[in-house]
Amino acid sequence: MSKLGLFDLAVRYGKLTALANLSFTVAEGERLFISGPNGAGKSSLLGAISGAVKAAHGRVEMDGEILSGRAPEEIARRGLSMVPEGRRIFAGLTVQENLLVGTGQRRDRGAVADDLATVFDSFPILGERRHAPAGALSGGQQQMLAISRALMTNPKLMLVDEPSLGLAPKIVDEVYERLCALQALRGLTLVIVEQSSARAARVGGRMLLMRGGRIVADGDAAGFAAQDLLTEAYFGDAA
Amino acid sequence: MSLQLVFDALSLGGIYAIAALGIALIFGVMKLVNFAHGQFIAFAVFALIVPSANAVATLGIGALPAPLLITLVLAIGAGLAVLAERLVFRPLRDASPVSLMVASFALGVMLQNLLLVTYGGRPKAVSLWAGLGAPVPVLTAQVPLLQLIVIGAVAAILAGLALMLKRTRIGLEMRAAAEDFGMARLLGVKANVVISGAFALSGALAAVVALVLVAQTGVADVRMGGQIMLVAFIATVVGGMGSLPGAVAAGLLIGAASALLQAFLPPEARPFRDAFLYGLVILVLLARPQGLFAPAGAKPRV
Repeated sequence: MSKLGLFDLAVRYGKLTALANLSFTVAEGERLFISGPNGAGKSSLLGAISGAVKAAHGRVEMDGEILSGRAPEEIARRGLSMVPEGRRIFAGLTVQENLLVGTGQRRDRGAVADDLATVFDSFPILGERRHAPAGALSGGQQQMLAISRALMTNPKLMLVDEPSLGLAPKIVDEVYERLCALQALRGLTLVIVEQSSARAARVGGRMLLMRGGRIVADGDAAGFAAQDLLTEAYFGDAA
Repeated sequence: MSLQLVFDALSLGGIYAIAALGIALIFGVMKLVNFAHGQFIAFAVFALIVPSANAVATLGIGALPAPLLITLVLAIGAGLAVLAERLVFRPLRDASPVSLMVASFALGVMLQNLLLVTYGGRPKAVSLWAGLGAPVPVLTAQVPLLQLIVIGAVAAILAGLALMLKRTRIGLEMRAAAEDFGMARLLGVKANVVISGAFALSGALAAVVALVLVAQTGVADVRMGGQIMLVAFIATVVGGMGSLPGAVAAGLLIGAASALLQAFLPPEARPFRDAFLYGLVILVLLARPQGLFAPAGAKPRV
């Protein structure tokens, strides 16, 4: 059974169609990149999966269970976690408090403490500054915090929206290294929105190319860079 | 004289701070300015007495021993606020902050009319804890016992609330939700639990204000929440919408300024004390339009 399935999913804002009848599935442990130009519907797609955006039609399933129509917190409690665009760190909370916000639903209290220790081991800077306000961290550190915060919910499926936004290329390398290592370690299924298909190709995985709320291509990320499909997605059929 | 002034300032400011907190708590998680808060206070006042149109009230709950009385009135305040959230504000959760504010006005008017129908429109004499007016010598001053109790209770409530917000699960979730509710929900924080919790706390704080007002004035008046609601709302704006420490600090400041003006204005200007007070408020807002302690995340949307 697939980890995540979208069936005929549509999202509309008023008369504007953000997602037009999308269908695809993601296998357990898979790494899926979603790429495409601005306005392609990438963030709407993540929003519709996480419950933050209401679907006009169709449904989303995780482990065969229907998520559509549920509140974001219920979806989160079923094992889906989100690293949102712009990180959305709780700036006034301490680093440690940020990490603990999402652990309320966990019954394995001992494991929460272990996970916290693991985060501080893998990101010593977060450990050093655990009692400092999260707003005082640098952009790269905040991205690591956002990823760690999502992991603290003990997710099975993690959505990551534009992790490279506003970060220096070297930091982006590190963010992806960490993400891939964590994925391998925990058997996570990852869905990553990444504007740069070149970056996706370098990291490796499956890639969906979107344009105008539709999927225009689906395949191995490494194979995409060389193809005309990309040009077509960004510039249209006239290119 | 001057020591007495300190106690006046602290007790008045403390009550303003508690009332302002009641508004700031709900604004923090819901971006709702709850203009029904004054009527929550009035409702808790009238919950003490037996319904009748008489000029002298008969104590109902108000005649119980103090610990039981306080527990009951706090529970009534919290219950009313939670009920209001469930019936009025939850269905409107996705509405604009302005619609929410208008709904809170409507709720306030309905509550006030409910009290008018049940108790009549005339203010009533209520003698709650009459012994508390007795003066107690403190150093060089003679301070009414009630004032000391109010100052102590306010300090205890503020400390308890700070501990709750800092140390408990629901406190952490409320602070996270106040910064970014959508993100908190994406992390599994239950919106209904956090919002109901904020309303319950706010309602209980309204009940505290009600008890102090009745004990201080000896009157139950349908309109008595309105004045303090106005001051409390101003305190939340001056403190910075959404900032709980800001609401407390501004409440204390306004109380202190009010007591100082009362003491030091020339006698012929004293009737216009509030004009001077609000003039100061305008000056503060001109200097810091975002309030004294505006948090980064919460911009006022109303």
